[in-house]
Amino acid sequence: MKRIHNYKLILAFIAVMLAMASCKRSFLEKLPPTSLPPEKALATESDLQAALRGAYAGLRATDYLVRTGPLLGDLMADNAYVSLTNTGRYTAYNTYTWAVNDGNATGFWRGAYTAILRANNIINSPIGANVNVNQYKGEAYAIRALCYFYLVRFFAKPFTDTPDGLGVPIVLSYDPAAKPTRSKISEVYTLINNDLNQAYTLMTLFVNYTQFSKYAAKALQAKVYLTMGDKTNAKTAALDVINNGGFTVVAAANHAAYWSALTPRTDKVETLFEVSSDLTASSGFDGLANIYNQAGYGDMICSDDLYALYAATDVRRSLYTPGTKGGVPAVFVNNKYPGTFGSEISDTKILRLSDVYLIAAEASLPADEPNALIYANYITSRRTALPIASTGALLFEDIISERRKELAFEGDRLMDLNRLKRSFMRSANYPATARDIQYSNTRRILPIPQAEMDANPNIRGEQNPGY
Amino acid sequence: MRKLLLLALCQLFLLGFVLAQERTISGKVTDEKGSPIASASVMVKGSRLGTVTKPDGTYSITVPASARTLIFSAVGSATQEANIAGQTEINLSLKYDAREGQEVVVVAYGVQKRSDMTGAVSSIKGSEIENQPFTSLDKALQGQIPGLQSVAASGAPGSNQQIRIRGISSITASNAPLWVIDGAIINANDLSRLTTTANILSTLNPNDIESISVLKDAAAASIYGSRAANGVILITTKKGRAGKTKIRVDMEMGQSDIAYENEKYKPLNAAQYIGITTEGLVNFGATPAQIASTMATRGGSSGIDFNWYDAAQRTGTQQQYNVSASGGNERTTFYLSGGYFSQEGTQIASWLKRYTGGLRISNRVTDKITVGANFNTGFVRQFTPLNGGAFGNPTLSSFFILPTRSAYKPDGSFNILTPEFPTSNLFNTIALASMDKRYLKELSIRGSVNGEYNIIKDLKFKSVFGIDFSNLEEDQYNNPLYGDGAVLAAGSPTFNPGIVYNAATTGRAFAGYTRYFNWTWTNTLDYRRDILKSGDLYFTALVGYESQLSKNYFTTLQGRGFSTSPLLYLQYPSSTSTPSTTTGAISDYSFASAFSLADIHFKEKFILSGSFRRDGSSRFGVNNKYGNFWSIGASWNMEREKFIQDISIIAPLKLRVSYGVNGNGGINNYDQYPLYGFTATYNSAPGSVPSNVGNLDLTWELNKPLNIGADIGMFKNRLNLTFDWYKRKSTELLLNVPLSPTSGFATQLSNIGVMENKGIELSISGTPLKLRDFTWTASFNISKNKNKVISLPDHNPIIGTFIIKEGLDVQTFYARIYAGVDAANGDPLWYLDSSRKSTTNNYSLAQRVPYASASPDYFGAINNTITFKGFTLDAQLNFNAGNYVQDTWALYYLGAGFNAGFNKIRRVLDRWQKPGDVTDIPKYIEGGNKNFHGFSTVFLAKGNFIRLRNIQLGYSLPASILSRLKIGSAFFYVRGTNLWTRVKDKNLGFDPEQGASSQTNLDIFIPKTMTAGVNFGF
Repeated sequence: MKRIHNYKLILAFIAVMLAMASCKRSFLEKLPPTSLPPEKALATESDLQAALRGAYAGLRATDYLVRTGPLLGDLMADNAYVSLTNTGRYTAYNTYTWAVNDGNATGFWRGAYTAILRANNIINSPIGANVNVNQYKGEAYAIRALCYFYLVRFFAKPFTDTPDGLGVPIVLSYDPAAKPTRSKISEVYTLINNDLNQAYTLMTLFVNYTQFSKYAAKALQAKVYLTMGDKTNAKTAALDVINNGGFTVVAAANHAAYWSALTPRTDKVETLFEVSSDLTASSGFDGLANIYNQAGYGDMICSDDLYALYAATDVRRSLYTPGTKGGVPAVFVNNKYPGTFGSEISDTKILRLSDVYLIAAEASLPADEPNALIYANYITSRRTALPIASTGALLFEDIISERRKELAFEGDRLMDLNRLKRSFMRSANYPATARDIQYSNTRRILPIPQAEMDANPNIRGEQNPGY
Repeated sequence: MRKLLLLALCQLFLLGFVLAQERTISGKVTDEKGSPIASASVMVKGSRLGTVTKPDGTYSITVPASARTLIFSAVGSATQEANIAGQTEINLSLKYDAREGQEVVVVAYGVQKRSDMTGAVSSIKGSEIENQPFTSLDKALQGQIPGLQSVAASGAPGSNQQIRIRGISSITASNAPLWVIDGAIINANDLSRLTTTANILSTLNPNDIESISVLKDAAAASIYGSRAANGVILITTKKGRAGKTKIRVDMEMGQSDIAYENEKYKPLNAAQYIGITTEGLVNFGATPAQIASTMATRGGSSGIDFNWYDAAQRTGTQQQYNVSASGGNERTTFYLSGGYFSQEGTQIASWLKRYTGGLRISNRVTDKITVGANFNTGFVRQFTPLNGGAFGNPTLSSFFILPTRSAYKPDGSFNILTPEFPTSNLFNTIALASMDKRYLKELSIRGSVNGEYNIIKDLKFKSVFGIDFSNLEEDQYNNPLYGDGAVLAAGSPTFNPGIVYNAATTGRAFAGYTRYFNWTWTNTLDYRRDILKSGDLYFTALVGYESQLSKNYFTTLQGRGFSTSPLLYLQYPSSTSTPSTTTGAISDYSFASAFSLADIHFKEKFILSGSFRRDGSSRFGVNNKYGNFWSIGASWNMEREKFIQDISIIAPLKLRVSYGVNGNGGINNYDQYPLYGFTATYNSAPGSVPSNVGNLDLTWELNKPLNIGADIGMFKNRLNLTFDWYKRKSTELLLNVPLSPTSGFATQLSNIGVMENKGIELSISGTPLKLRDFTWTASFNISKNKNKVISLPDHNPIIGTFIIKEGLDVQTFYARIYAGVDAANGDPLWYLDSSRKSTTNNYSLAQRVPYASASPDYFGAINNTITFKGFTLDAQLNFNAGNYVQDTWALYYLGAGFNAGFNKIRRVLDRWQKPGDVTDIPKYIEGGNKNFHGFSTVFLAKGNFIRLRNIQLGYSLPASILSRLKIGSAFFYVRGTNLWTRVKDKNLGFDPEQGASSQTNLDIFIPKTMTAGVNFGF
């Protein structure tokens, strides 16, 4: 009897063991159904293409390039001011009183490094080279260069001021535990130029102007050199784009239509690179169009002195419409960004051929005034604006002024004023306490965000002065 | 021919009867005092034949000729045998036995007598929570279990309930206990995705529950391993017993109103509103012309005085009907039930209907093998309005919409799309209540099939396969004309005339489908061995393996663009023109565990217990896939010691101590993985982005509870006392650690951080008075818990409304201290800092300080039951003290003129008016007075309350009438729930129960309910 009991006992144990064994290790591995581990998400050529779209989508963050970036370039300068009737956004930039924990500056910093991470993962992919892979990697290099170019201009002093000063942390690969320090400004520019050289070499395809192409990268490099004060290289790069890129400057007759067009074009007119927003993917009401256009928030108004710069015949003048807001006369920026929330949303222009012509013009000075006039008036003639005829220092001023008129509300103005190390006077549209903006004003550049200081002990001693 | 057959059958029966030579024995079983004992067991010795006594103690049993002895036993009594030779009537008096008085309690993977326990387990019987006007059983647990805090955040029918056992132990992971129904681990809480508040436990009929056990300490709960940290609640459903089939019918009806209202927190009427608003404009410095024009836009001369509060609130109704049948024979038992429950909330457009069915059968296949199955199914339909700050929340409109505006136009139609109610501001929720739809339908099937095999004496194999299936359908409709669904064309005015809708997007309908299928398979071997033949030393052991897999599937679609017909007949996504939301995926998790339990018993005096469990889960990072959890416990039944036995009044007396380690695996399913998500698109093509930083080390939070307790019985269990002291340290807390933003990520979830809870629990129950026809039983329980955060990443506090800081309670409000009103000028004042030495009228200069906790210091209940002849009076008083409640939305209705275009509450009328006025409400100024509306302690009130949770008067028909009516039992009752509430703080605006975080959210108010019902037994 005893033996039978033991026999049954053994059987029972076997049953239990079988039940355990039936659950293999895979039973405890449940992979997420809507996401992939990085190695599976970046395994093939078409995966790189999807990741590249993700990197472009990273540029579309509200606090990055579809609003805060291009907006601050005009609001911190003298082109855009905040109406008294407003939704409470960016008011500290109107009054020059933002602080170290400013949400928009923090968002910009985060947005830039988020996009850099996405680009890094493409650049560092071991997938074998072919035409497509080279193109994707080239675009990723250009995106990374663009991100560092924005970062180093917003968060560090101009290269033209102190090349050896503190730039921004250089992050070239993914490491969530890293606590990087700020690299030198010159090191950041070296990286940008290296990336743009790679981009120029690797890219051979043109899809449409919402993606980087060979000559968009070169145009960006022209701008980078100009910002560094390297006029020779700036001119060479600009002329490469003008002569070899196959892009054309939009004509006066098509100017209004160019700005009202909402879908990406492939005909190489005017835009070298812009960030796409459409019905399914956009920042919604938190895009650039909604903050300028009176059909949206309409908080941002064109300053009176900028509007006064346009000649009556200038087609660019019709992008702006005088009216009143809250009972106060105001010049609206409705027609530059007509696509507001609810419709297809206006894209954010990043690089245009007109900019490249004006770079070529500026970079020709002081040595080559005739060509400077030719490049500058290539633009004025296509805007039915008054031609520039000045010489010497006045010619330089006219070209800078032409840049202001052509590139208004595209985020360029502050960048020009900073690289030229100029103090400036904002119009009476701005609060009286925030009109005279000296070059020495520490708020000409943004603070390293509090969130970075809190999480990264290595950068704590490297805050920008004044914050 | 047919007749012939019938005759033959009858003969066969008669033959059988004669051959068996059975006879019948009857009698009455009483206690020592002669009172009848109901449900005492009467068994024929040496067989499985048996019966139980009726409520009057009588029994009747048919015994075979071979029977010699009957065995009588009852809970709380010593077993007795009686020789039946030559007898037909045996009357017996059973003797009291303290040890047998111990109830048998359901514990992890089995049952145990109280005297055998080493852990802290509280339990209640199903009868204590049945026929209550609660939509889910977790609401009925309030005040019943020491150490268990059960708070509602909403009075909406079907709303979720928050349960915290022995405090809060986690900041990021779940603080909800583990629910186990009939051995199967289930998904509890709110499984809905679109509904304001829902509770999947509302599909379970409390009347189908036999018992609830709450496992609180390491010895009791650690066997559930990585999910035991927040405590474990074991539910056992009803089963049948051998004997005559019993039918039970319960019927109940009632109605409900708001349980607690503060007259100072009622909205102003039109005259009051116009008065205070005009005063505010004057104080602002507005000119008479400006005042006139502003007041005109606010309906100052409309002549209307509409009470939005009364329009949104109503008398609710309550009814339920339950039928059950149970019985069986010695081989097969069954329990069958059906129920219907319906509740209409105290706010318009809120209701719940539940249909339930239960089945449990058990069959003894052979002497060694038993098989069984049980299933409880429930179908719930509920309708739940919006809450919080949503324009469509009827409670919000009770307080915000101006009394100078009516819900109706003079012609009786709804006042919508007028300048008073454009589509862009506070909505006319009275209109929306009939124009929009917010349905939730929940279907749950919970159950198990099980088998038991007694391999040899004292060795048992048991296998339970449990399922927990829940199916949720959510249908929502926002009409195209007005409210949340209406979308206007660019440039359209927001009200008639001339309103133009965006045809592509106006109106919307959601259809959401959610399915959870979750199974648990448990196999155990249960062994008992006597080490000494005398039985003085024996051990029991259990080893087992358990696997669980929960699969979740969900889809949501949203269509926009309805035809703008005012009839609003078309309400489903199929009628829309523009597909909008399309979501669908799965989400799974799994656990696999091996475990063992062992107890050593020495002379029934000393018991040493140990448990061990090894858990693996899909939720844990690959580097920390498996964890070991354990406990040890010991108890000493001192009443077995000679020196205690001499003190005759004390028995039993038991000391318990336990310590162990368990975990909190309430992490999101895929948090551990570094991931790329496909949520970013560019030019409408799919894009991938790094979406989760991941942490391959991610694992459960650890919880280390130490428990010391005592169970004391006195005066033959007339007085029982249970005391527990505990201290539990929670470590490896999951927290989001900030990363350098240059990494491209903001935070990483990591196991870091330490927190501690310690407290005491005391429960006393007794029978102070027991006469022949009169019994008074009373019980009292109180729980005290103290929480403290011990360590955080880099010692940095996490700051929000609460400050999570080392050394403080995890739910400490962080606020500026309001110092009242400057009697000279009516300015609001705040203390500069916590020293409260000086005040300022500049809100920004006042420092925020850790003020008080949202968790109570102590809570508990007092229960009294008096029975006299057939009458029973039950009363339960719940109490709670020491927490503060935040009035989240008060800035709008209590701010001193802030948002003057919204209505205010009557407390605003206490405002300062002239120099010398002493009050706590500042001068009323249009637009607000110096940021008085900013969050400060003025919006916190003490949460102390006493509440008559339950009072019931019942009457059982006496046996004499019952037998004439030929029914087994009849019980009539009237019951009041939450009938009376008393709060300490006169400025507590709304119900003191506001969820575990004590923050109001303009939810449906908690109701008080009067019901009357009847239970019949056949």
